[in-house]
Amino acid sequence: MADWNTMSDAEFRKEVRRFFETEYPEELRHLPHRPKFAEVEHWHRKLHARGWVAPAWPAEYGGMGLNAAKLLIFYEEQQRWGVNRGRDMGVQMVGPLIIKFGTRQQKDYWLPRILSCEDIWCQGYSEPGAGSDLASLRTRADIDGDDFVINGQKTWTTMAHDATHIFMLVRTDPGAPKKQQGISFVLAPMDQPGVEVRPIRTLAGETEFCEVFFDNARTPCENLVGELNKGWTMAKALLSFERIFIGSPSLAQNALGQLESFARCRGAFDDPVFCDRFAQAALDVEDHAALYARFADQLKRGETLGADVSMLKIWVTECFQRITELRIEAAGPDGATISPLQVGNVSVDILASFYKARPTTIYGGSNEIQRNILSKAVLGLPG
Amino acid sequence: MLSSDQDDLRLLRESARTLFERAGGSGRARKLRDAGGTWDPEMVRELAAAGVLGVTVPEVNGGLGMGLAAAGVIAEEVGRVLAPEPVVMTVGLSLGLLRRLCPDHPRVAQLISGDTVLAVAWQERGAGGAPGDAACRYADGKLTGSKAWVVGAPGSQGFLVVAEGADGPVLALTEATANGCSVDQRVQADGSAMGELSFSATPAEELARGNAVTEALSDAISDTTALAAAELVGLSDRAFEITLDYIKTREQFDKPIGSFQVLQHRAVDLNVMREVAQAGVREVLARMDCETDPGVRKRLASRAKARAVTAAKKITRDAVQLHGAVGYTDEFDIGLYLNRALVLSAWLGDDAYHRRMWFKAREQEGAA
Repeated sequence: MADWNTMSDAEFRKEVRRFFETEYPEELRHLPHRPKFAEVEHWHRKLHARGWVAPAWPAEYGGMGLNAAKLLIFYEEQQRWGVNRGRDMGVQMVGPLIIKFGTRQQKDYWLPRILSCEDIWCQGYSEPGAGSDLASLRTRADIDGDDFVINGQKTWTTMAHDATHIFMLVRTDPGAPKKQQGISFVLAPMDQPGVEVRPIRTLAGETEFCEVFFDNARTPCENLVGELNKGWTMAKALLSFERIFIGSPSLAQNALGQLESFARCRGAFDDPVFCDRFAQAALDVEDHAALYARFADQLKRGETLGADVSMLKIWVTECFQRITELRIEAAGPDGATISPLQVGNVSVDILASFYKARPTTIYGGSNEIQRNILSKAVLGLPG
Repeated sequence: MLSSDQDDLRLLRESARTLFERAGGSGRARKLRDAGGTWDPEMVRELAAAGVLGVTVPEVNGGLGMGLAAAGVIAEEVGRVLAPEPVVMTVGLSLGLLRRLCPDHPRVAQLISGDTVLAVAWQERGAGGAPGDAACRYADGKLTGSKAWVVGAPGSQGFLVVAEGADGPVLALTEATANGCSVDQRVQADGSAMGELSFSATPAEELARGNAVTEALSDAISDTTALAAAELVGLSDRAFEITLDYIKTREQFDKPIGSFQVLQHRAVDLNVMREVAQAGVREVLARMDCETDPGVRKRLASRAKARAVTAAKKITRDAVQLHGAVGYTDEFDIGLYLNRALVLSAWLGDDAYHRRMWFKAREQEGAA
């Protein structure tokens, strides 16, 4: 197994770029929707054969063992080439959780199955009454013999209709004095009578997320990860790296590139008002990238990121939205067309990126929640 | 390539901050404004003694031989305390021209030592006025005509004038007290004044001529534009800090107003704007140090100024709003920041202007 961390950053970047450029299937580049596993399975097999499914996991568990600097490069190259992340909930969320808090048996059993995608995971966090206020979750898991019995409802469960397993936060001690206490992390199979999945159609017309209903569903007690009633702290510990990833410039950069080529074909740059708004958006993206680089350097020096990293997410998601709105403006009367538009020799889906941009200010902690966090944790404002 | 490593820059920042704080911080800016709106020549010499003015001049010519990134650190500190001394003007424009055109001229050493201050007169009112198209003439050692928007004119001992000679542009040096030279003052929002200069057969010394003058001026303006952006970054930084302190302590409805969510979110947005501006402008300065193509340097400078003005306008105006009625009084320092931001925004082009310039440069590079 190669020790990637001993390579220079430039060499490593070259290697990753070469692999994506030569091996990634062209038809999957910049996929506008979230694929089902079957659609990306051939790509997953290639990654798996190369041992590149889990860049962040330690090598002893079958990962690439990348340090923060290399990991960032890996993701940058992935986004640059429009490589789909596939069904990576297992790799991104469940694996790190088990590696950090799981037992020997849990590691031996689950980790290889995540890498091979024998198990495909979805995340059961949000509930109808627990969105931004996640700690209010009410789905219960009660011990009955050797099993947990699960009752309740999860929602916004991404790709639950294409998952074999769910990792979830459940209430195991309803009598705990604070709502953050009494929450546990359990793993449960989806294929059982007590689990019902109802896909939800999004504004974009896709079915990426679902409601999941639990009616006396069961999972063995050995599927508890970490200590009973300690799930909240564990969930928070998982979020550290995601916080810079979610603020990376790539979505906005790609959208800007698309906007520019579209606007050029449509002659939008003949309009000085459009030019100014384009310049504003482009400069917003460039200066965001400068701030992102500052945080990335911090990671590369081995420092832990503080709560201030959230400002990347706020800025870039709002900027991403403005860019996709500009494309609608540039489209004029075609601005609400769902069917692909022929512009020059390319076919453009005007609304795809607009829709894609809408939930970015909602998911991963809404931008309002991020502002609450920044005002208290970074600015030290009271109350 | 002239890059300075991060440790050097940190040391430079610390010493510049100490120097300004010892001198009296932003309170000094108010005193000088009330005393007539110019700078303190003693402070200019003190800054010079610390090497500040010669920061980008090569060591062989008596400077520190550092890059724009280092000059930007100093400009940020100038902005934080609203120091009226002509630091960015001297580093970017006066020495920016002389170190490129005549680095061995005795005035270089005098500027570095703070013994003299020279304002640069390069613009004119009216249709022409650009270098190569100036109505102000230089012939036989004499200047005739007028120049406009000369920042720092009232406190300067002399002027570096871009005029039209017999065969192309000339950079000429004249004394403020020279015969036939008059300065009409236009007072600005922060109390400083720009000069409208007029010359009538005013004796002057030719320092350089030809295309070199146009090129040096253009590149010096790029530097100065980016440094003015850095000054705005420092100004925004401090204006935000003052405002944050204020909303933490001002109480209404029996609690600090900073505990209200609507103010918290506004404060966060200003903070994000400040951080983006700081990161963007610092990145630009570092890149300009490694970039030799004047067109690219110009585009980078426009990016910096567009960002810094956008941020400073938003931050200082929202700062007044967050202060409430006291923000509208002259007694509170926050208004000084708003006024200085107005002046630095108008100087060398505001955000809308620089977005236009940036876009134009980008289109030209794309076409090339």
